[in-house]
Amino acid sequence: METASPRTRMSLVGVVVIGCFMALFARLWYLQVMEAPRLQVQAIANRTRVVAIEAPRGRILDVNGKVLVDNRTSLSVTIDRVAFRKLRDRDDLMSRLADVLTRYGTPTKISSLEKRYADMQFDDLQPVPVATDVSEEVQWYLAEHADDFPTIAVERRSTRVYPYGAAAGNVLGYVGRITTERLKVAQPGVDPDSGVAKTYQSNSTIGLAGVESTYEKELRGTPGVEMIEVDSKNRPVGTSSYQAPKAGSDVQLHIDIDVQVRAEQSLQDKLLRLRGTNQRDGTLRNATAGSVVVLDPQSGGVVALATYPSYDPRDFVNGISQERYDQLTDVDGVSALIDRSISGQYAPGSTFKLVTATAALSNGLITGGTSYNDQGVYTVGNPAQTFTNAGSTRNGTISLPTALTLSSDVYFYWLGDRMDGSKLIQDTASAYGFDKRTGIDLPNESAGYVLTPEDKKALHAKYPESYSEGTWYTGDNVQLAVGQNVIVVTPLQLARAYAAFANGGTLYTPHVGWRILRSANSDVNPGGVISVIEPVVTGTVALPADVRDPILAGLSRVTTGLGTGSSAFIGFNQQAFPVVGKTGTAQVDGKADTSLFASYGPGVTPRFAVAAVMEESGFGAEAAGEVVRHVYEVLAGQTLTDAAPASVGSTD
Amino acid sequence: MLSSSVSRHDSNRSRRDPTAPARHLDPLLMLAVVGLSIVGIIAVYSATRGPGPTYSSSYLIKQTAFVGIGAGAFVIFSIVDYRKLHDWAWAFYGLTTFMLVLVISPLGSQSKGAQAWFALGPFQLQPAEFAKLSLIGALGFMLSEFRGDIDVRRMFSLLGVAALPMVLILIQPDLGLVLILTAIALAMLLVGGLPTKFIVVLTLVGLIGIFGALNSPVLKEYQISRLTAFANPDDKTNPAVYNVDQSQQAIANGGVTGEGLFNGPQTKLGFVPEQQTDFIFTAVAEQFGFVGAAMVLLLYGLLCYRIWRIAQIAKDSFGSYVCIGVLAMFAFSIFENVGMAMGIMPVTGIPLLLLSAGGSSTVTALAALGLVMSVHARRFQ
Repeated sequence: METASPRTRMSLVGVVVIGCFMALFARLWYLQVMEAPRLQVQAIANRTRVVAIEAPRGRILDVNGKVLVDNRTSLSVTIDRVAFRKLRDRDDLMSRLADVLTRYGTPTKISSLEKRYADMQFDDLQPVPVATDVSEEVQWYLAEHADDFPTIAVERRSTRVYPYGAAAGNVLGYVGRITTERLKVAQPGVDPDSGVAKTYQSNSTIGLAGVESTYEKELRGTPGVEMIEVDSKNRPVGTSSYQAPKAGSDVQLHIDIDVQVRAEQSLQDKLLRLRGTNQRDGTLRNATAGSVVVLDPQSGGVVALATYPSYDPRDFVNGISQERYDQLTDVDGVSALIDRSISGQYAPGSTFKLVTATAALSNGLITGGTSYNDQGVYTVGNPAQTFTNAGSTRNGTISLPTALTLSSDVYFYWLGDRMDGSKLIQDTASAYGFDKRTGIDLPNESAGYVLTPEDKKALHAKYPESYSEGTWYTGDNVQLAVGQNVIVVTPLQLARAYAAFANGGTLYTPHVGWRILRSANSDVNPGGVISVIEPVVTGTVALPADVRDPILAGLSRVTTGLGTGSSAFIGFNQQAFPVVGKTGTAQVDGKADTSLFASYGPGVTPRFAVAAVMEESGFGAEAAGEVVRHVYEVLAGQTLTDAAPASVGSTD
Repeated sequence: MLSSSVSRHDSNRSRRDPTAPARHLDPLLMLAVVGLSIVGIIAVYSATRGPGPTYSSSYLIKQTAFVGIGAGAFVIFSIVDYRKLHDWAWAFYGLTTFMLVLVISPLGSQSKGAQAWFALGPFQLQPAEFAKLSLIGALGFMLSEFRGDIDVRRMFSLLGVAALPMVLILIQPDLGLVLILTAIALAMLLVGGLPTKFIVVLTLVGLIGIFGALNSPVLKEYQISRLTAFANPDDKTNPAVYNVDQSQQAIANGGVTGEGLFNGPQTKLGFVPEQQTDFIFTAVAEQFGFVGAAMVLLLYGLLCYRIWRIAQIAKDSFGSYVCIGVLAMFAFSIFENVGMAMGIMPVTGIPLLLLSAGGSSTVTALAALGLVMSVHARRFQ
């Protein structure tokens, strides 16, 4: 036989088989002993899904500890999609559910259940809420008839509640479900105790406006973590670990809700009273919108921030309908979603004379005693431009304090003329914090602007259509001196400038937030202070006595005697609470004037700076002045008065 | 001894006749067969009872029944003289070939992409499994007739006999079974005295054939991707890679001592596809760990060793060739199936004999082992 013996070949087969078994043993050892730790981690990741449980947000408190935003438990009916899909009688179940909801106080259509069931913002691992804020009866009924309602559950969820209703809506803001885009970029805050990141999931709630937005990192709770074991088809089979969610920190504001409510109420009342009446030159006052700012001049704390029209944050609980949202963007032609106190931009009119006066005094152009003969008219330039006092009033020979008290435009035209060719007014405006954002802890603040000759030139070069003129005329500087034409400011900037004058020249960053507190439900030190938002000084205005005193002398008398704002303060006890301020009436082409009043009080030891700006409302004293007075009534603890009927007001 | 020829009374025959088959059963083979069958029933149940709280026992009942039927086949094949297979080899071969033709006709039924089953009430009959046994019989017959004297013509007749069922099974298609038949044929031809030069040529032709098949439309795309998955373990888009990843994780999860019976999370939650059949080894490895899985491999090792040993001590060359065929069937199935589960062999649907759920494969495996036992028992007759 030429071939090897069968026995040899059989041995060969044996060797091959032994080799195969050796390979299997080696691989088994490798997988189960050597590589096991690494592969086991993969295996665990494979069969567990981490589900985050949203924690209640922190509360928002006012300066006195009154709760402005709280949480309540809301009952939602949910459907487990994965299980629901396997049911046969889905349509029947939906219709029975709609019946139960309707019977126990939540009128519901099948179509609305189906619409919400199909909402793709929920992933399949989480029960999908199909009806929110249902009654306890619904819960009891569904619990008792659980067999008839498979895959349906009632879930308790924390939602926002507003004890003061619509008050301070613009400050508090609102929350909503996080969008996909935000989810990608959201920077989560960390738990103050554990340092755990408060990560977001696709169903997370996030602050979308106001304090809810700026203090999102503090307010957001630390999500609980539930590790759910799932099978290969992603069906939950049990919980392997559970970590309870932890409520977010409370945020206490400088806002005094009583002052806030008063400011909002006075503003609204006055606007509605003015609306539809005519101002002195016959222009119709639409009185569409306005705002009030109350600051603490010693810290920058924001005591009140009213804007009209505003929204009710309750509209946003559980999501706002498109219909309601559209309504809010058009309240008598203006949007209620814009906070005009921080983003409205207005010519400051005569309230700006504080800045012009400071510029003139500190640069030695005049002293407190320098007088000028105000004949009601001022003419500059070539070709000649003529500027007049409001109502062409002649004030005669006056010095700066009187010019401020009586609001002589001519005196300030003269100062503007003399400072033409310099940027003294612009520089002083900048020192007072105009032309840039204040840095308040609220979103969407505007910067305003104070044009310089260079700015005007650049604007013309860039937008020749909108800015037909690139040359800076003396007339521009004259207008700037009385806060017209080449300048816009926000009400917040205006209040801050007066707050700076009040405290001797220190510019603080306005802060709505005061301090961060532990949740009242915290295990350690409930309600304790975690951190205080310290005042931040962003600049100073040099106000030596020879600058400050003449201005103070003029502004102190605005609310008394012959002062332009005196009519608004009749009956207000200025002995107890002297108000230092300035009226402003800014002309707007084709519309009624913007009414402004900027002030602080009490005079010697200022505790509050209050400014009001009202669109298409007429003269400073009759609209804004009166609203400011109403706010001071609360601040000074004086008798509250109602908004006066609209009248053809005093001169500016 | 005179008495040996005196009395042929059946009841006393084994006691008196030292060559009686009943005196020469192989206890170690028996141990391996019984042990593996029991482990198989437990493993199949653990892989199919589900995560609870109510457990499914349908697979448990079925597999127990299959092992029962298989035990009957084992006993019958042990009792009947294996040389009967020599006589009936062609009849058996013809019958299975006929069934293989029948199954790809409209009479057969399709499942999981292969036309491979006859539906018989609640059971499914897979004739290709029986083809393993009939091929062993047919090749054993031919090789024992040729007595090691194989020329080209005889070689081609051997190859033709082996190729016929393979082609029919490839039509179904069931690539795994074709590979097993190839292994059986190769081992039997090798031991049966195929000249070395033919072996070299056949090996070359085989290699070219494999290469050609992988690059030709004969194999379907999913078959190629399964076969090549183990070579590209990082291609996560390949479903076969997913299966093997899951399988390896489950095996690793067992660690040294295992998660315990019914406690393997990956098994319980059904992460490993086909874990009651192709991936049954993962269920064993996760629940019983390295200790248990190695014990199972050792039982298989013992089984293979005994078959190999019986091949050597067989009374005649036919018995010897049959044992080698059965050995090849088991060794290849074990290596391919367990190797696939551990990621060192390509993915093909080959059952792990005695462990995987399945009627035809279990009955065939036990019948084949009964045959081996018969060879052992009659080694002095």
